[in-house]
Amino acid sequence: MDTKKKFELERALATESQAVSAGKLKDDNPLDTTETFRQFCEACRRGDLKVCQEMIQAGVNVNARDRHDYTPLILASLCGHYEVIQLLLENGALCERDTFQGERCLYNALNDRIRNLLLSYDYAKSSNPLQPLAAHITSLLTRPEPATADLAIEAYDQSFHVHKFLLAARSPYFAKKLRAAPSTSTWALPQNIPSRSLGTALQYLYFSEVSMRRAMHGLNDEEETLVVKGIDKIGRQLEMDRLFDHITEVADRRLLRQKRAEELIRGRDQLETWFNENVLQNKVQVETANVDNLKWNRDNSIYADILLRADDAEEDYESDETDAASPAPSGSSTPPARSILGLPVKSRSPSRSRKPRKSTIYPAHKAMLLRSEYFSTMLNSPFREAQQTPYLQIVTLDCSPRVLETVLTFLYTERSDFGLDVAIDVLFTADQLFIEKLKQRAALIISTLGNGNSSTVESENPRGETDAEEVIDIYEVIRAGWDTRVQRLEEFGARYIAYRLESYIDTLEFAEIVQESARRVKGRQETDTIELVDDIRYYLSDRFRLRFEDSGLEEMMEQRGDADSTAEAMEGLGVQNEDIDVEKNDRPLGKEIEEQFAVGAIRTLDGEIAGDEFAQDAMNYQILLGKIDQLLENLNLDA
Amino acid sequence: MIAGRGRQRIRPPRRGLHGDEVDFENTWVTIEAAFREIHTKNASRLSYEELYRHAYRIVLKKKGEQLYKNVHDFEKGWLSREVRGDIQQLLSPNLLAHAQSVASTTANERRVSGEKFLKGLKQAWGDHQVCMSMLADVLMYMDRVYCQDHRRPSIYTTAMVLFRDEILKSPLSATEERIILGLLNHVILEQIQMERDGDVIDKHLIKSCVHMLDGLHADDLESEDQRLYHVSFEKEYLDTSRDFYRAESELMLRESDAGAYCKRAKKRIHEEEDRCRATLMESTSSKIREVVEAELIQGRIRELVEMDSGVHFMIDNDRLEELNLIYDLNARVDERKSEVTRSIQKRIMELGTEINNEALAASQAPAPAPPLNTDGGDKSKQAQEKNVNLQTVAAIKWVEDVLGLKDKFDRIWRQSFESDSLLDTAMFNSFRDFINSTAFPRSSENISLFIDENMKKGIKGKTEMEIDQVLDKAITLIKYVQDKDLFERYYKKHLCRRLIMNKSVSNEVEKQMIEKMKQELGPSFTSKLDAMFKDMSISADLTSGYKRHVEGLGDRDPKRIDLSISVLTKMTWPMESINGSGESQEGNRPKCNFPPAVEKVRRGFEQYYAEKHSGRELTWLPNMGTADIKAVFPKVPQKDGTFKERRHELNVSTYAMVVLLLFNELPADECLTFEEIQAQTNIPKNDLVRNLQSLAVAPRTRVLLKEPMSKEVKPTDKFYFNEGFKGNFVKIKVGVVSSGNKVESDQQRKETEKKNDDERNFVIEAAVVRIMKQRKELPHQKLVLETISQLASQFKPEVTMIKKRIESLIEREYLERIEGAAVDSYRYLA
Repeated sequence: MDTKKKFELERALATESQAVSAGKLKDDNPLDTTETFRQFCEACRRGDLKVCQEMIQAGVNVNARDRHDYTPLILASLCGHYEVIQLLLENGALCERDTFQGERCLYNALNDRIRNLLLSYDYAKSSNPLQPLAAHITSLLTRPEPATADLAIEAYDQSFHVHKFLLAARSPYFAKKLRAAPSTSTWALPQNIPSRSLGTALQYLYFSEVSMRRAMHGLNDEEETLVVKGIDKIGRQLEMDRLFDHITEVADRRLLRQKRAEELIRGRDQLETWFNENVLQNKVQVETANVDNLKWNRDNSIYADILLRADDAEEDYESDETDAASPAPSGSSTPPARSILGLPVKSRSPSRSRKPRKSTIYPAHKAMLLRSEYFSTMLNSPFREAQQTPYLQIVTLDCSPRVLETVLTFLYTERSDFGLDVAIDVLFTADQLFIEKLKQRAALIISTLGNGNSSTVESENPRGETDAEEVIDIYEVIRAGWDTRVQRLEEFGARYIAYRLESYIDTLEFAEIVQESARRVKGRQETDTIELVDDIRYYLSDRFRLRFEDSGLEEMMEQRGDADSTAEAMEGLGVQNEDIDVEKNDRPLGKEIEEQFAVGAIRTLDGEIAGDEFAQDAMNYQILLGKIDQLLENLNLDA
Repeated sequence: MIAGRGRQRIRPPRRGLHGDEVDFENTWVTIEAAFREIHTKNASRLSYEELYRHAYRIVLKKKGEQLYKNVHDFEKGWLSREVRGDIQQLLSPNLLAHAQSVASTTANERRVSGEKFLKGLKQAWGDHQVCMSMLADVLMYMDRVYCQDHRRPSIYTTAMVLFRDEILKSPLSATEERIILGLLNHVILEQIQMERDGDVIDKHLIKSCVHMLDGLHADDLESEDQRLYHVSFEKEYLDTSRDFYRAESELMLRESDAGAYCKRAKKRIHEEEDRCRATLMESTSSKIREVVEAELIQGRIRELVEMDSGVHFMIDNDRLEELNLIYDLNARVDERKSEVTRSIQKRIMELGTEINNEALAASQAPAPAPPLNTDGGDKSKQAQEKNVNLQTVAAIKWVEDVLGLKDKFDRIWRQSFESDSLLDTAMFNSFRDFINSTAFPRSSENISLFIDENMKKGIKGKTEMEIDQVLDKAITLIKYVQDKDLFERYYKKHLCRRLIMNKSVSNEVEKQMIEKMKQELGPSFTSKLDAMFKDMSISADLTSGYKRHVEGLGDRDPKRIDLSISVLTKMTWPMESINGSGESQEGNRPKCNFPPAVEKVRRGFEQYYAEKHSGRELTWLPNMGTADIKAVFPKVPQKDGTFKERRHELNVSTYAMVVLLLFNELPADECLTFEEIQAQTNIPKNDLVRNLQSLAVAPRTRVLLKEPMSKEVKPTDKFYFNEGFKGNFVKIKVGVVSSGNKVESDQQRKETEKKNDDERNFVIEAAVVRIMKQRKELPHQKLVLETISQLASQFKPEVTMIKKRIESLIEREYLERIEGAAVDSYRYLA
């Protein structure tokens, strides 16, 4: 790949700024001086994943620039926060070669690892985040199996099979028309419009990237005029004012891309509005016992062709299953979840009287469900769900209504903003339904928000102190990561534990999970590693090393390079991953230190009170490593 | 879990999903029941969601392995208990019986029972596939998670393997050892055999069974080349086909002719191709074609070509279509098509030699002994004359025969051999070989004669296009000639006569011919011919220039003699042919005594020429010239009784003119003897004899009377002026006997060849010197090779000749041997 010369870049930059000021081109990086954006930039600078994720979810523009012309991505790559960069890129931050900001970002990358990460997200390779949704909808036009189309448009030489809900969402004309007569099954094209024009219009409706050139391919001038006129006409009739605009040829690639991106967002928003107003508005809550009596006609006002059912959580009803976990958390967590939906579910009071269990039914469209491989297999199979019945099939999903709604929202709109509270459930459901993107999304949310109020930025939490409250059950997270095969979660868990090892190392659960991790490696040899423990050790060293480096520790070590016991201890630490002499930290000693640690006194290894905090850190590191080894020994594991 | 007061906290996963053990046994019972329903085609009542959920939970609870195993066992049990029994039901006794020995059952019975078996198997396979894809749908989570993590083949694949093991590889019945797969192959092969014998079979049915075999693998690795179709069926198919076609080819060779064989073979090949498309797999197509080709063609082509009704027969009877078939067959197995090529070449050689022999026979027919072995010197002159004429006709016939042959094979080549370039070369070589055959040395002369004939007579009244065709034909023949220099020599000789005697029908055509030769053989070949034409045009200028010169002299002499002259450059014109019959040597040629009037003109021209080109010597060639004389014969009584003087314009050769002028000065009744005439004119004896023959013997132009009156001219004969000469026309042309271009006598030919060899000597020496000058030093062998390649366009020099030339060059100190060189080498001496 050849890079542009400096003068070429400058010229391109000048043309670009001209185009922007003339209003022809949208600025890729608009100036943003709001306080929120400043905070966002600050988080990127410090590498605060959690804040970043929260702000992104709140809708901050990741591609804006601050008053010094810095974009969040440049800041993060300049400061070397790999995870933050990954987060930004996954959320659509642009780093494109041959643009001013892009090259600047690459140039400023702290190390090669970051540079390579940036390059791997180059626009040429990555695509618009909405593209999967668009591609799916486009494919609906030609997908033969299973039949999901419910409206046939008859042109004189061709008939098109289309989906009412999409037409209604995209075209105000159809919305009105179909509302008046939801059961229509055919629509005749006005005679004077060529079928080719209709085809092009439909492609546009179905999120396809249409261009004049392709639409006119192989036509002579006369036919071309006819088709163009037809498109114009159909655009006006269907009240899609932008149709004609959209297909007019644009030569500039960047402008084209911008147009396409805008169009996708617009289309998605339309679909989302429709989804919110129709699908979500029409969900029904019934008592589980009565679910089977629910009958939906095929000709319903929102053109749904399948019903999805999710039952409320079972804890409240099946008391025999509830064990150690007190009902309190579920009781307190469910109502807020419901309230988000703004539904009349509130009927269930916290008093938890044994009321009949409730189920929520969502009307849905097979066409959209096909995005999940689970549904696509189901609907293509000869099983009951795929049979044509007089009333709509009800398919039960093994999750809470809230999770189902999240899944549906994602399938219809590509939106995946949900809270930490349902994240694990979403993760499992997405895994079960084979919706890979949603799964990754859930993992991302857990690993960025899961750190609770304590920041991941080490300097703010030097002693591995934990909050009084924990937002997540880290063991659950790790197990979920294993179950759903999301590597990211295991790493997150290891890091999480490493940074709070003091409070986990002695618990029974920790020992259990280490053992579980060991069992995961099949046919384990004596010399094999335990992945979790390795990861924890890695992050532990990371935790302390960063601290030492930040404080210019090595210089201090030089100065104090005498027989001081602290220095000795630190030498062992200076070399990463080196085997620590465990015998030094044998049992009684470890216990002693532990006690001292518990008291919070600042002492040396020998029990003497250490001079400063650095010395204390060094010792703590030793102690923790020693404890891990001890644990492994106890469990008869070798690693 | 620590109780949270934060706004968002993570919830533990739902109970039903997580936390508790699933009751594997109970769940499996549910699943198994559902699977049974699926196998009995009752799936539409089952809920996908429910089944999937069960399987999902089991896998999530790490019981994937158990589930996988249970499904495997279930499927195995189902196949071995239910399906195998069904298949065994289909095995009718006659199906089993004939598998051992083909007896007592009719083909139709066998076909029906075979089809029944195939249908049953296809049905079972289809059902199995449908059921398993449904199972795979339900077990999707297991496939994706458990199988991938543990590197197990997907459940669908496993089930397909089970079908292979439990059904195809199961014995036919409890007491039988043979397995179903073997029977399946056998039945399919038998059906195919029925089709080959002309029956109609259910191709679609077989195709589905073949698809089944193609979908299964013999091993568990699923490698491409281990498909059951390849491993088990295809091999057997190829083997039986090989046997079948071997037998068939033997039968057909015995019972039908080559043409029918070819047709049949081609049909079989197409049949097999169609079969692979419609009944079997496309991938077999090339393999079976190889087998069929090997059996029907490879081993048989030679026999086929050499059959009585083989290529020989087809060529002779113009069986173009059959030739095309046999060509096509040969091309399939041998891209060089060597068998057909060989036989074609053989046939061309045979036919060519036949033509050669015919020509020889025709030319020697009147002579008692073959002309090659006799020198015609002691034959009587007239016999020789006649012989020569006959030979000329034979020569032209030869050329036409060769052209006919060429036309025939060209047609065959175009229509039967698809204009194959390899065959083109082969045919070219064969033509060249027989045309240049050492047993027939006359090709060059014959071709030149053919052209001569056409130039003089043949092209009269023909359109331009026809003329062009004739010329092209001539050119094709010239291309075959290897000794181009010899041809050039003949052509020059013939051309020379045509030019000087003005015999050509059209100068344009002559030039066209030269142009064509230039294109084909290069400008060096035609440079001398061009020069001849140039001489002719210069001569025309000279003649008119001289005429003006004479007129300019002023005193107009009524008795002036008009002179038309051709000045020929000695080097470019073939002097030997000009100088007459080649008997006389050039140097001591006697000068002819011209009569004074003529002598005066001669001097006048010499003077004129010397003024224009000083230092050039003119040699007069009276034997080539002609003269127009006005002769006045005394009055003789006419029919009406009046006396009238008769005037005739006689066109005679220069010699005849000289002779006739002698009689001008002679009283009417006196005579001259032959010897007297010769003494006075100094005309060479041969020429004189010929001229006197035409003046005194030929009945129409008997201007002189001879005594005694006989055909022979003897030195003692007396000649009188024939006062009573009668002619019907005013203008009379007195031809000189044997002035046209005819075949050379053997003696002449030897002469020509000798001259040609002499010239070759020069050419070879020139080539050697050219090469050595460039290379300075060269080993002997290389020098010879290079010389041959340099001269290839002109002729094929003999190695001995080159050796001699090298010797001669060494003698003359152009070259020297390099002393002590490992191989014989020469050095160029500057």
